[in-house]
Amino acid sequence: MRLTKKKEVDSVIRDTIDKVLVLRFGKASDLVCLQLDDILEKSVREVSKFASMALVDIESEDVQVYVKYFDITLLSSTIFFFNAHHMKMDSGTADHTKWIGAFQRKQDFIDVVEAIYRGAMKGKLIVTCPLPPERIPRFQLIFKDV
Amino acid sequence: MDNTEDIIGDSFLADLDDLSFCDSKEEDMNVSVNYDDLESVSKLQKTQGYLDMMKKVEDKLENKGNMSDLGDDNLEYKLIVECNALSADIDSEIVTVHNFIRSHYRHKFTELESLVPHPVDYAQVVKKIGNETDLTLVDLQGLLPSDSIMAVIASTTSGKPLPEENLKKTIDACDCILSLDLGKNKVLEFLESILGYVAPNLAVLVGSAVAAKLLGTAGGLPALVKMPACKVQLLGAEEKILAGLSSAHFRKQILKKIEKWQEPLPVRDADHKKKRGGGRISKKKHRYGVTNTRELVNQIQFGLPEESFLDDRFGEGYGMLGPSGSEEVRLPIRWRRLVAHFTKKFKDMHVVRSGASTGFTSCQAFTHAQGI
Repeated sequence: MRLTKKKEVDSVIRDTIDKVLVLRFGKASDLVCLQLDDILEKSVREVSKFASMALVDIESEDVQVYVKYFDITLLSSTIFFFNAHHMKMDSGTADHTKWIGAFQRKQDFIDVVEAIYRGAMKGKLIVTCPLPPERIPRFQLIFKDV
Repeated sequence: MDNTEDIIGDSFLADLDDLSFCDSKEEDMNVSVNYDDLESVSKLQKTQGYLDMMKKVEDKLENKGNMSDLGDDNLEYKLIVECNALSADIDSEIVTVHNFIRSHYRHKFTELESLVPHPVDYAQVVKKIGNETDLTLVDLQGLLPSDSIMAVIASTTSGKPLPEENLKKTIDACDCILSLDLGKNKVLEFLESILGYVAPNLAVLVGSAVAAKLLGTAGGLPALVKMPACKVQLLGAEEKILAGLSSAHFRKQILKKIEKWQEPLPVRDADHKKKRGGGRISKKKHRYGVTNTRELVNQIQFGLPEESFLDDRFGEGYGMLGPSGSEEVRLPIRWRRLVAHFTKKFKDMHVVRSGASTGFTSCQAFTHAQGI
């Protein structure tokens, strides 16, 4: 599902009930984003019973509100929602609010979604990442003009 | 226009005894196994093995009294296996020829194959009906049960009569099936008589066909006798496996498996285990649960280092038992052995410890030695 308007994003977040919503923010032409999209598409059917996915294009004007709110920068970021609650995940990186970068394997992604689902069903708002640190993509923060 | 098969068939004809078999001399040049040529479809009755076996069977059936030449165990078992194999071969041959007949006769009478599924009955009915268009003129008494006869006569078909050549082929094929069936009955009779000599009680108990199969799979009477009961059960299991591998069934199983793999993943923790409550269940749980003693061992007095049976640093601590608590402690045997071993090996350590500070205890050691 590709979303370009703020209203669409709103409705998707509101209407996904009892399922994890995987919202990918990125540019469809970016290499890392393509990798990520490939994995997402391969697993969309497999996790369909407890997760649903949507892709948001950060270049569109409408969704800049969200881009600013979630502090999304160049690389593709994936944000998880459950019943309109923003789910955070501690994967050892600096930013717990979103997942930056791609996944190395399809199973990794499914594990992450399952961890989020389990935590959410228990009522948690933040979960720990089940992946070992080697498979978590790390990026260096370079501050511009600081 | 004789084809080569005809020539071979003729030569086997000459070897035959009193068996009647189908010798349809087809003018067809088609030698590949198609449903035009009966000879390519039904080869069994021309094979030497079949003819030899049938000869043996015939001979034995004629001089019924003389069974003493089956003195050798191996020979009997071998004969049983051969008869088994032969009857299986005849069965598959009947099926093949039945298909042949159906492929021709369905142009004439399409519904007959579903009304009369059994191959031998079908062949007999086909032979009786022939090319007859008016089914009421055909007398099927004795061939089929009366309700089947009524169903057959009552059915109106859209078929058209067969051309003369096809009709002849079909009738010949029917004769073939009937003779195969006769042969099979003879083989089974023969088998029964052998079994009556080899294992009469077994044959009476389970029937001659089953008894023959048991003996064949087990590998002879002595082998069957030696098997424990559980193994006997397994003898039939092999057949089941083979039956499962029949192509249509196998294919269905594979498709079902693939479907299962392609299903989306199940939701986790959606199926809650049924945890039961009640006095009985909780008593059961307590038998394997934490005992009172163990609970006391797990608790530690605040502010005091834990006592243990070896030393404060080694061994398993007592917790609230023992000196800190009020309970008398009886050490288990393995611990007592360790104490003996330990005091022997590390007795000097005690002396050192009271003065020096170690990593685990404070420099002031509160032990019995200090009188606490």
